[in-house]
Amino acid sequence: MILRARDIQKRFESRWVLRGASLALEPGECVLLQGPNGSGKTTFARILATLLAPDRGGVEIEGVAPEKNRRGARRAIGFASHQPHLYPGLTPLENLSFFGRLAGVPAAEARAIGLLDRFALTPFTRTPMEHFSRGMFQRVALTRALLPEPKLLILDEPYAGLDDEGTATLNELLADAKARGAATLLIAHERERAGALVTRSAALRNGVVEGEGS
Amino acid sequence: MTLIDVAVKDLRLHARDARFLATLLLFSASLVLILSVAFGPIFREPAREAAATLWAALFFAGVLGLTRSLDLEGEAGGGDAVRLTGADPYSIFLGKTLANFTLLAVVFALVLPIASVFFDVGDLRTLPILVGVAALALLGYAAWGTLFAALARGLKARELLLSVLLFPSLVPLWIGAVKCTHALWAGGSIEPVRDWIKLMAVADVLGLALAAFLYELIQEASE
Repeated sequence: MILRARDIQKRFESRWVLRGASLALEPGECVLLQGPNGSGKTTFARILATLLAPDRGGVEIEGVAPEKNRRGARRAIGFASHQPHLYPGLTPLENLSFFGRLAGVPAAEARAIGLLDRFALTPFTRTPMEHFSRGMFQRVALTRALLPEPKLLILDEPYAGLDDEGTATLNELLADAKARGAATLLIAHERERAGALVTRSAALRNGVVEGEGS
Repeated sequence: MTLIDVAVKDLRLHARDARFLATLLLFSASLVLILSVAFGPIFREPAREAAATLWAALFFAGVLGLTRSLDLEGEAGGGDAVRLTGADPYSIFLGKTLANFTLLAVVFALVLPIASVFFDVGDLRTLPILVGVAALALLGYAAWGTLFAALARGLKARELLLSVLLFPSLVPLWIGAVKCTHALWAGGSIEPVRDWIKLMAVADVLGLALAAFLYELIQEASE
């Protein structure tokens, strides 16, 4: 089991966003999590990615609570969300090399160049990102998440801003990740864009994960 | 090496932000100019007035640098991405401290000649000791400032909170820096105020040591 989240509860002021959400992911699985706007998907994703602490319940990454081995847990996770999690004043290559080196990725720069090429960003590798379009930001953000070849990918709305070509590239890269045993949690509204990648789907409603199906 | 990577990243971002650099440098230079006009044109104790002016300009300008450093981490989620790399939090802190220290050192290099000219103080013989004093004061400023900037991250009115927390903590460093600079410019030696050097060194060590225990906690509790 790569990820196990049990009875996650989270509230912001008096409003309970999550009321006991549970989810487990096995190696090689790709789970699609859907849910209406405001259902707590992003909050759930941030908790699973160890960026936000739940009020109750717990998360285990590879059987270990992140509080016991935060560094190990985070190095197992690739996370992309609404925010690009990048520095717009740097170029894509500077961003990716920086994050790669911090994460201890061997030959981070060479791997970043390869991934940027897959996303057709080679002409922009050395251009500061301040004036990039939403789609270009998204491609670099996804590259950052995929760079360390994580065992667990948590991708919140990864198709947002991507054109057909970008969607196809992302699905190819996710298929590669799946083939090497990585588990993927896809949080997306459009199931059809994920194609045949999805092995299981679930929905987050009223603060709980429900309706799991294959 | 995380420390160097973080420092280089911050400095690169600062260097590419011409508007920020211009604001920082103009603000500190203007402050020296305004205070020199306020104290002058005939100075009673130019060494004392110049020392106070120099360090007031540096400490106020430093808040601009710290606020910018805070914004860099928040504006597109870069700080969260750094946490997600699993890098050692204390190395991240040291990297950010080094970047803030370097930025303050640049402001010092700009403001020092302006203060020297306007107040007609200082000489080249005491410059190496003054640089040493500045290094001690600015290292402590950068360490405490980086720690409190992390604490203020994600809060509303963070600039206000940063100033409220930071300035009382910096009192020993500010007074020490002013006393030592005054002693150097007035008498050519810091011997009469050597205890202030020790106090500044203690403040530096305390700031760096506290961060070793607190920075990760602050970083993780900032949500």
